[in-house]
Amino acid sequence: MVTADFLSERRMTIPNNLVTAILFAIPAYFAGVWLGNLFGLNDDQNTGVIIGYFFATGAFLIGLGFLNYPLARLMGWPVAPVATTEPNVGVGRFFRLSLDHKVIGMQYLITILVMLLFGGIGAMAIRTSLLSPNSSITPPGQYIMLIGLHSVMMIFITSAVIVGPFGNYLVPLMIGARRMAFPRLEALSFWVVPPAAVILAAAVFWGGFPTGWTGYPPLSEQAGQGMDSYIVGFTLIAIALVTSGINMLATIITLRAPGMTWTRLPIFVWGIFTTSILGMLAAPFLAVALFQLALDRTVLTSFFLASNGGSNYLWQNLFWFFGHPEVYIFILPAFGIIMELVPHFARKPLWGYRTGVVGLFGVALLSWFVWQHHLFVSGIAPVLRPFYMLSTELISIPTGIIFLVTLGTLWRARVWFTVPMLFCMGFLFNFLIGGISGVYLSDVPTDVTLHGSYFSMAHFHYTIMGGEIFALMAACYYWLPKMVGKMLSPTIGRIHFWWMFLAFNSTFFPLFIIGILDMPRRVSAYDPALQALNTWVTVSSYFLFGSMILFAANVVYSLFFVSRLAIANPWHARSLEWQVPTPVPEHNFERVPLIVAGPYDYGLPNARPVADFGGLVGATSGG
Amino acid sequence: MTLMTAMATPVFIGVVMMIIYSAIYFRRTGPELVDGPPMLGNTPVQVAWIGISAIMVLFLAVVGIATLASSNVAQAVGAPGRSIGQSGGQTGSGTAGGSGSELQVQVIAQQWYFTYRYQDYGGVETTHLYLPVNRPVELHVTSLDIIHSFWAYQLGVKADANPGVDNIFHVTPQKTGSFQVRCAELCGIWHGEMADSQGRVVSQSDFDTWIAQQQKDYAAIQKAVPSYAPHYFPLPLTKGS
Amino acid sequence: MAVRSRSRDVLPEAGVALDARVMATGVWLFLAADLFFFAGWWFSFFYLRALNNNSAWIVQGLTRPNKTYGLVVLLLVILSAAAYWAGSRVAVRSVLFGVLAPASLVLGIGACVFQGYGMWHLGFGLTQGAYPSVFVGLTTLWLIELVFAVSWLATVVVQARPAGDTRLRPHAAASFGWILLFLAAVGVINYILLYLAA
Repeated sequence: MVTADFLSERRMTIPNNLVTAILFAIPAYFAGVWLGNLFGLNDDQNTGVIIGYFFATGAFLIGLGFLNYPLARLMGWPVAPVATTEPNVGVGRFFRLSLDHKVIGMQYLITILVMLLFGGIGAMAIRTSLLSPNSSITPPGQYIMLIGLHSVMMIFITSAVIVGPFGNYLVPLMIGARRMAFPRLEALSFWVVPPAAVILAAAVFWGGFPTGWTGYPPLSEQAGQGMDSYIVGFTLIAIALVTSGINMLATIITLRAPGMTWTRLPIFVWGIFTTSILGMLAAPFLAVALFQLALDRTVLTSFFLASNGGSNYLWQNLFWFFGHPEVYIFILPAFGIIMELVPHFARKPLWGYRTGVVGLFGVALLSWFVWQHHLFVSGIAPVLRPFYMLSTELISIPTGIIFLVTLGTLWRARVWFTVPMLFCMGFLFNFLIGGISGVYLSDVPTDVTLHGSYFSMAHFHYTIMGGEIFALMAACYYWLPKMVGKMLSPTIGRIHFWWMFLAFNSTFFPLFIIGILDMPRRVSAYDPALQALNTWVTVSSYFLFGSMILFAANVVYSLFFVSRLAIANPWHARSLEWQVPTPVPEHNFERVPLIVAGPYDYGLPNARPVADFGGLVGATSGG
Repeated sequence: MTLMTAMATPVFIGVVMMIIYSAIYFRRTGPELVDGPPMLGNTPVQVAWIGISAIMVLFLAVVGIATLASSNVAQAVGAPGRSIGQSGGQTGSGTAGGSGSELQVQVIAQQWYFTYRYQDYGGVETTHLYLPVNRPVELHVTSLDIIHSFWAYQLGVKADANPGVDNIFHVTPQKTGSFQVRCAELCGIWHGEMADSQGRVVSQSDFDTWIAQQQKDYAAIQKAVPSYAPHYFPLPLTKGS
Repeated sequence: MAVRSRSRDVLPEAGVALDARVMATGVWLFLAADLFFFAGWWFSFFYLRALNNNSAWIVQGLTRPNKTYGLVVLLLVILSAAAYWAGSRVAVRSVLFGVLAPASLVLGIGACVFQGYGMWHLGFGLTQGAYPSVFVGLTTLWLIELVFAVSWLATVVVQARPAGDTRLRPHAAASFGWILLFLAAVGVINYILLYLAA
């Protein structure tokens, strides 16, 4: 029987772990290249590289053990797992295919933070290059490679940085479930991420790719082998988005504990819910575009070449139909985090809970109808532009609801200003600026000046870094005590917050001005009159990077050098994930809990604890 | 943009004040963890907030649509005192909106520079863009290879250059002066250098002199250049190639 | 063999019922994502056909793909999906399932083989305009999904033996029927677009 009674995959003869996976992947890559060069029609060897990457990823997953269960069932072998001698303890479980959502969450957290470091180093290289108004520090070929690597690495990271670690770890705990709906799919959604990052980094060997993260053809068809890294890496991320989306939605829909009605669901879970809908439905469009680009580059089809019946607008439409929901995939979990943390620190119910949920759904729904605002100056039919201008401006209404709910929760509260709470306040300030700047860009006459300039760079860095990354920091400081059992140092945390907040605003606010002053994005050479501003921005960015190093230092220091063990509920919060012991037991709850109250019932006389852990006899989650 | 800044500033200040006020006055006093009042929501406040934000946003949308629809669009933004363009909005691909009096200028982008062809003057191709003042111009932007974007900052024009597409944009320069042209769509390694600071708006007589000189200078090359067309493709692929 | 679970007081039947809900929800969600995937291809078809850039949607003298051949493949898929659907609506222990499921598998494998052969001998070049590009892309990806579905079907058939998984988890076997039906329906739409409406 195959319920998740065991938490690691059935073993075959060879041990399935990361080492095996890498050892399988390397020869598979060369086999793929050989095969591709046999059949490939294009002298550029694109076919070989693409097939090589896919074979390598497939072999990597096989080496981890993903094929064990399907193969065993196909061949009719017994599927009883080797569970008795393979307990789910020890640090080795993080390097294996684990079906425990908590382990997957930690795997995600570590992987993504390492990727974030590399993306940040790329950013430092870019800013250093911009100290000089001509291309003297970094030659243009290298500069464009840095831009591509930094931006795409960051896109990979921000697609998953909250849903991956915190969605995986916390959603079952918050809904009272003992597992996720499809543990193997969830493990798959994690284990395609390291190959995606490695394949992306491999682009360096081919001189990178020249298109930035938007991959516009025909430039992307003209590009060398580095472009194939983009294609395969992004396809893997699309697979991660779809599988994770399906799994999260199925878990939230079917595995809620008895009594966990939709109106008692923590708002963070609603954030993950709406994000997963977007991820699951938008990523397929990206996959279509990437397959078409791969076909154009390998077998010389002409999806995107106007001279042969294709159209570069086809890519733009497909990509942005994915791309706009994608940026809401970045921010909806962050909204969920902010609305989740503020009630617990304000010691007040979430003000306007249902309105907040409506706000999340409003953002998710409207995000499908705005994508052509990325194409305002591309030459689309002018009659389309007013509609998309209106729809884009309308999104500020549900976004404003998030602020409404948060500010309402703060009103007349007794706020405990811990480090996570500080990051929430920083989020509110940053996202306010980011969101307002978005309104500027949505107005077509203004967009004519601002599109493709540093203004839009500042806008999305304010929303993604000032928004999502600040929310990430809040989540780390808030939930790491539960996940690893130790508190992060609050003193270092406060320094980290103020340092990061000030450096962030000092780095990115001048970019609005630089954009209004005519500097386009993605350039290594600019008007020398802007050199002073650019130097200010670069120096501030060094400080910003320093603040992230301080965060890393705080993590290392608090985890390995100090023994400040966390109690089970250091924030005295009501939500369900804090009612389990630390470290969290293997199956989360001894018995499926019966939920009797909402998680935000602060200040209510006679408020009951959120769950009854005696449980009902015969209960399963999903009631 | 001024209107939006005028509307955004009170919103920004208001929310920031609320954040700071909350940080100061709604702090926990004392070491004990006391719960706040159990306020679950306040329908009138929520309705008011959502209603006001909706009105502001719809107002902006209406103003924006009106701006787009009118042919007398607001001045080019961002260069106060130096703007010389009054852009007439974009007509999009393929539909020539102008009457015969508009000067037809084709902007051809390629990696990594812009050239300009004047249809009314025998299709002469020049390397700098000169426009006569106070005369409506219809710009046809296209590309020879990949996507670029023609951005003439002081004229208030930004139009993507796509291969095989004729992207039409109107502008009426109102003052003589110079303007900066940059490429605004990443087009390969020299994207940052794809700029031209020699755009000029000159008087009609100066323009006539200049274009006549261009026609003379490039007369020999003109014979070899393909004839003027809305867009330019390489030779068509034949079956089996 | 009972449903094993850590909590000692969980009823086995409740666990199986929950499993059924989880499986059904997962399949529906997957089909929603897959629908969006094919919708992207269908959008590409209509968009490029409408634009007809450089009159190269279908170039002069292009050899169109063989309609009859495509119809044969489509019928094999439809029959496979119908056979499985009929078989899975009755109890999986029944003889009907025991006959229809393998029949469905054979039909499915036939469809994959035929379509694969057809792709190998297309009769037109991939560089000849946009229609061949869309044809190749859409059909290849549909075929890849069909291959995965048929291997899942093979698993169901293999596990339909008395000690196998299909008997113990009939819900998974039943939910799978939706996937085959979906692929058959997508095949119908693809046929109409690619062979009839191009």
